[in-house]
Amino acid sequence: MPRQIRKRNGVVVQFDASKIFGAIRKANQAVGEEAMTPEMIDVLTKKVAASVEGNDIPTVEQVQDRVEEQLIAFGYAKTAKAYILYRAEHAKIRQAESSLMDIYKELTFRDAKDADIKRENANIDADTAMGTMLKYGSEGSKYFINNHVLPKDIAAAHINGDIHIHDEDFYMLTETCCQIDLIRLFSGGFCTGHGFLREPKDIRSYAALACIAIQANQNEMHGGQSVPNFDYAMAGGVRKTFRKAYFKALAQYFEVSHGMSRGDARALVSAVRESVGSEPTLQRGEAFGQALSEWLPAHQRENGFEAISAQEALAAHAYAMRTAEADTDDATFQAMEALVHNLNTMNSRAGAQVPFSSINYGTDTSPEARMVIRNLLLATEDGLGDGETPIFPVQIFKIKEGVNFNPGDPNYDLFQLAIRTSAKRLFPNFSFLDAPFNLQYYKPGDYDTEVAYMGCRTRVMGNVHDPDRQVTCGRGNLSFTSINLPRIAIEAKGDLKKFYKTLDDRIDLVIRQLLHRFQIQCGKKVYNYPFLMGQGVWLDSDKLGPDESVAEVLRHGTLSVGFIGLAETLKALTGKHHGESAESQKLGLQIIGHMRERMDEESRQTGLNFTLLATPAEGLSGRFLRIDQKKYGKLPGITDRDYYTNSFHIPVYYPISAFKKIELEAPYHALTNAGHISYVELDGDVCRNLEAFESVIRWMQKCGVGYGSVNHPVDRDPVCGYTGVIGDVCPRCGRREGEGVSIEKLRELRKKYPSMPRFVGLE
Amino acid sequence: MTQKTTAANETMMVGEGVGFARIRRITGYLVGTLDRFNNAKRAEENDRVKHGL
Repeated sequence: MPRQIRKRNGVVVQFDASKIFGAIRKANQAVGEEAMTPEMIDVLTKKVAASVEGNDIPTVEQVQDRVEEQLIAFGYAKTAKAYILYRAEHAKIRQAESSLMDIYKELTFRDAKDADIKRENANIDADTAMGTMLKYGSEGSKYFINNHVLPKDIAAAHINGDIHIHDEDFYMLTETCCQIDLIRLFSGGFCTGHGFLREPKDIRSYAALACIAIQANQNEMHGGQSVPNFDYAMAGGVRKTFRKAYFKALAQYFEVSHGMSRGDARALVSAVRESVGSEPTLQRGEAFGQALSEWLPAHQRENGFEAISAQEALAAHAYAMRTAEADTDDATFQAMEALVHNLNTMNSRAGAQVPFSSINYGTDTSPEARMVIRNLLLATEDGLGDGETPIFPVQIFKIKEGVNFNPGDPNYDLFQLAIRTSAKRLFPNFSFLDAPFNLQYYKPGDYDTEVAYMGCRTRVMGNVHDPDRQVTCGRGNLSFTSINLPRIAIEAKGDLKKFYKTLDDRIDLVIRQLLHRFQIQCGKKVYNYPFLMGQGVWLDSDKLGPDESVAEVLRHGTLSVGFIGLAETLKALTGKHHGESAESQKLGLQIIGHMRERMDEESRQTGLNFTLLATPAEGLSGRFLRIDQKKYGKLPGITDRDYYTNSFHIPVYYPISAFKKIELEAPYHALTNAGHISYVELDGDVCRNLEAFESVIRWMQKCGVGYGSVNHPVDRDPVCGYTGVIGDVCPRCGRREGEGVSIEKLRELRKKYPSMPRFVGLE
Repeated sequence: MTQKTTAANETMMVGEGVGFARIRRITGYLVGTLDRFNNAKRAEENDRVKHGL
């Protein structure tokens, strides 16, 4: 029997076996069956005491773990369950006593740079008034959910770090994200909940309304917003702008060449619009010119207007086409530039955040869409004011063989431009429609069958609820919860059977939790989501009245189980992660494959879309690790760093070639149908080598990656505006971090770099 | 950007106290600068090694 025990507050006191005896008795009494004799309790108490004997002083948590094990080992399953609940209840009480007000104090009196809790999500500025307000709400809500809403064992599993319920603060409120079809939304105009907007008539208003739609939806959901068909959606705006520009130019031509008054020229053009059947477009210019040259001379003659020959009509048409194309191109660039600026500056959530936006494009080969894609990439390459790299929208270039991947494909030039842009600005990322698990849905030219990704990596496509509607638009994730995989492996102590048993229990628990949350979500009405449901953004919500339940239409969404730290899991099970050993890779694929099978099975049984997610885990990477480090100490290769490795990634510290990394990670993309991403780190010089960059993307496509990108350092000196790799010294102005540069030097540099930032009042 | 200028030896200096902005991809999206990263992600970023081709 150990002589001492370490209490939760770290104090070491004398070991007292009667406390174990008392706890077991209490749990057994609470059950009311499986009656245990005092002798039996005594045997168990001795077993527990013996099992924690050793050189180290045992902790209360360790002793409690052993009690659970012994109860289960001796077949007292119900008593074990009662004991677990008793522990969970006490864990909650302990937390309740200390936590909420301490959290509020920390939020109030400490800066984000000193308080990790204020940097949980890097895109929220928690130092601002509204950012802090948002955190008060968020932390208060989590407290409420843990203590008053969640079933006890689920709350305990979340608090103790077996699982993590993402966006738990929104548990009672809404869903994660949605893929917005702007084409449907714009048709006939829409209402944001704060005013009605007419159907846009120009590419500039298309782009502006795209931002507004993203913003309006973001305020009704807790995750991000994505436009899955940005090129298709904006093409309509370009078409309208072109038409307007064409007729304006046509009128100008006659004003200048024929000395017509503006009124006459306009009257002529309106007669053209009414009488020449077709409309001029970028693509069908020639046909319209032909029709014009046939109709106009006769029209002039018959009405006794001044003569215009067929040849002259053709010349007017040629001028109008040329001018309209150039004007439309300019307008489109402005529109895309404004979109990027707006999405980086417009507020959501009371000003604490900009909307989390993603846009997918690359496959529409119409000249209008191509103009959109080209100008968006050029505007992204230019950057924000003073040349800053835009953070939003997350851009995803959809790669498809026969459309843009190979020389000769109609959008191949845009793929090349995307590579150049990404090599400078980190965006776009690349998605791969030829990956078999994406290709199975693809129908040429139908954007609703092209898989799209949310910026963070979420993917929504398959639909067991309605197999005829395996589409991207109008759908999204409802909620997701992640499992702490490394912990299960640590506890299994190399016993694979035990590992799978615990994993299955955890998956069961998470499924139960996701359904618990789903029931709450199903209790909402259309009027709870004036934009998402009220404007028909979510699939089938257009068929519902304002007071109707959203339960049925929510079934188009996904419920996802996520995971973190496959690398550490494999380390714990076999001593090697999947980058180090082919055996571990095999086991890794078995584990993740098993999780996926469980999701598919659950989908079949419930008719709901259960999917497996390679969790993004921004805040979680540290949270699980910290709890586990406290529990198990610093286990080499498992808990000895400050984070768990993201999803199925090869650890970031492990030296491996880009190609090998991609090859090893690709098969996991096929298994994680709720979303995935792989990235490789290239150094700054490789990145400027566009062929090398492209070879990485092509390898991703070949290996069956679904979504990927290339990381490289993008540093910027705000003083001289230099963007690129900066070591200790800025290569342009020569200053070190924090040093000043003389005005003279900046003036000198500006002669060479006219777009450098300006310093108001100094120059 | 906040401007801080000082006159050192009668030369106006710009940029004292101003750091470099370092933009990194975090989980699929970008982050304005490393200062906003949480501690774990900062440690992870710091551990990242470059992948050769």
